[in-house]
Amino acid sequence: MIDVSGLRKSFGDVPAVVDVSFRAENGAVTGLLGPNGAGKTTTLRMIYGLIQADAGELRIDDIDVLRDPLAAQARIGVLPDTHGVYPRLTAREHARYFGRLHGLRSADLEKRIDELFETLDMAGIADRRVSGFSHGERTKVSLARALVHGPQNVLLDEPTNGLDVMSTRAMRGLIRRLRDEGKCVLFSSHIMQEVSALCDTIVILSAGRVAARGTLDELRSQTGHENLEDAFVALTGIDEVRA
Amino acid sequence: MRGLWAPLLVVLRKELVDGIRDRRSVMSALIPPLMWPLMISLMLNFAAEKRRQADEIKIPVVGAEHAATFVDWLGQQRGVEVVEGPDDPYTAVREGDVNFVIVIPEDYNELFAQAKPVELELVTDGSDNDAAPFVSRARRLIEGYGRQIAMLRLVARGVSPAVASPLRIKDIEVSSVQQRAAMVMAFLPMFLVLAAFMGGMQIAIDTTAGERERGSLEPLLVNPAPRLAIVAGKWLASVVFACVSVVLTFFLLLRALERVPLEALGLRFELGAPEIGAALAAVIPLALLASGLQILVASFARSYKEAQTYVSFLMFVPMAPAFAVMFSGIDPQPWMAPIPLLGQHVLLTEALKGEPASLGAYLAAGVTVTVAGWLCVLMTTRLFRREKIIFGR
Repeated sequence: MIDVSGLRKSFGDVPAVVDVSFRAENGAVTGLLGPNGAGKTTTLRMIYGLIQADAGELRIDDIDVLRDPLAAQARIGVLPDTHGVYPRLTAREHARYFGRLHGLRSADLEKRIDELFETLDMAGIADRRVSGFSHGERTKVSLARALVHGPQNVLLDEPTNGLDVMSTRAMRGLIRRLRDEGKCVLFSSHIMQEVSALCDTIVILSAGRVAARGTLDELRSQTGHENLEDAFVALTGIDEVRA
Repeated sequence: MRGLWAPLLVVLRKELVDGIRDRRSVMSALIPPLMWPLMISLMLNFAAEKRRQADEIKIPVVGAEHAATFVDWLGQQRGVEVVEGPDDPYTAVREGDVNFVIVIPEDYNELFAQAKPVELELVTDGSDNDAAPFVSRARRLIEGYGRQIAMLRLVARGVSPAVASPLRIKDIEVSSVQQRAAMVMAFLPMFLVLAAFMGGMQIAIDTTAGERERGSLEPLLVNPAPRLAIVAGKWLASVVFACVSVVLTFFLLLRALERVPLEALGLRFELGAPEIGAALAAVIPLALLASGLQILVASFARSYKEAQTYVSFLMFVPMAPAFAVMFSGIDPQPWMAPIPLLGQHVLLTEALKGEPASLGAYLAAGVTVTVAGWLCVLMTTRLFRREKIIFGR
């Protein structure tokens, strides 16, 4: 469970996040939807502890992120905006590295990696060096190392960016599976269909503020638009949206 | 909290595996141990060769009794000793028993008295490169004697000898071979210090600027590990590479020096186990500072190439004290030991001379570079907290 309230962050004079509050429940998928520059990535980075918030409260499973960032980080798995890989390591070594950084021991860790690679359909590439991998395969490696410790909370920053149709479908399947396992999944996107197809709760961000918050149906009735895209345009007050 | 060590060791292990698979990192650790022993033995062998030419020479002569005056004259030349030639000069030269043989014909005196050319045989083996300087010295001696006789004959006939020698070459050798060899040896400490700087250079860059360039720093820092542990792990990976490079360089240099005829150069270089240990104790801690400086500087760079530019400027840092000592004429003193870099140079020079400084001097030198290296790690850790460094690409 992730609890965010009154979050604020400026870079110099430029406000990136002005006032963001929401709650992402366990066993649910929460989507951060917003146009480019709305503050989605900055919000996520504050939650996973790489950007210090100027003000506000951040709690992950009731751990104060600002006070004890390492304990909070132990409870999350993150696919960040930039998720580069180490070309000279194999897929398995990536997962092993991050698993060890989470304090997992060898026997448990190897078992966990095997299961995870099975789930992500990576068994065939597990022991190959990453240098020759496609974009989709690299994203899988990043996912595997993010999930290796079985985190209760999963944060994904535009996870389907640049993926082909098959990989995108697989990613959606994974998000649903994580939800069904009772995890708290928080992901950001600017793709309407994805958000409307996956999310139990949608948080629409615009210019660093929460423009609206609720289920798909709630947002529709709030704006009187049947289509999420129209609702989105109405809520964010912008005319051009990349879909 | 699992403390610092557990995550530090995880990072160290990963970076070492990654580094060993990186051609650039391995090359930069192997270049000093491969290049410098080769360079130094080439330079010293060249100097020894030059020296040997000027040195003493034994001239085997067959038929010395036929030309007593000539042989006497030969024996009076500086550094020349005339010895009796082998019975079978051709075979002896071919087999390499002697470098060359001068064979004097029986009719020497007869022809000489009639002022007719006498044929002296100079038996040589052209394929024997080692013999070349001796052969050419012998040839010059014979020609020199011949020229002298020719002049006497011209004078006896009332002709000025100057008429017969329109050109004259005067050789002036300005550099002393021995001095040059000593210079080469004075480079030894600097070679070891440079190995400490080069050995871990590429891996220091790869784990910092490379990590930023690949975009893998952000996911790495999301892990619940203290930044200090992550930075220190990367630092120690670079230190390991640097240490391996230093030790390899040192031992290969020693092996190379064993094969160089140092006595011929009037040099003495003998190191026992204590001196070898002292030299390593002087230079190994320097790796902590070298790698610390490198990860600090490389962390400012956005890309591998940018970092390479910055870090290669750092290579001038270890050379400064070496050149300062070499050219300023400062006498290395033990009190300089705690000054980073200068201290290592002083301690190394003393150790290689076979007169290691006191234990206190080693401790002082080790402590200052370790502290300086750790300060670099702390400063790098601060950088790794900056949002500009984590995300700015």
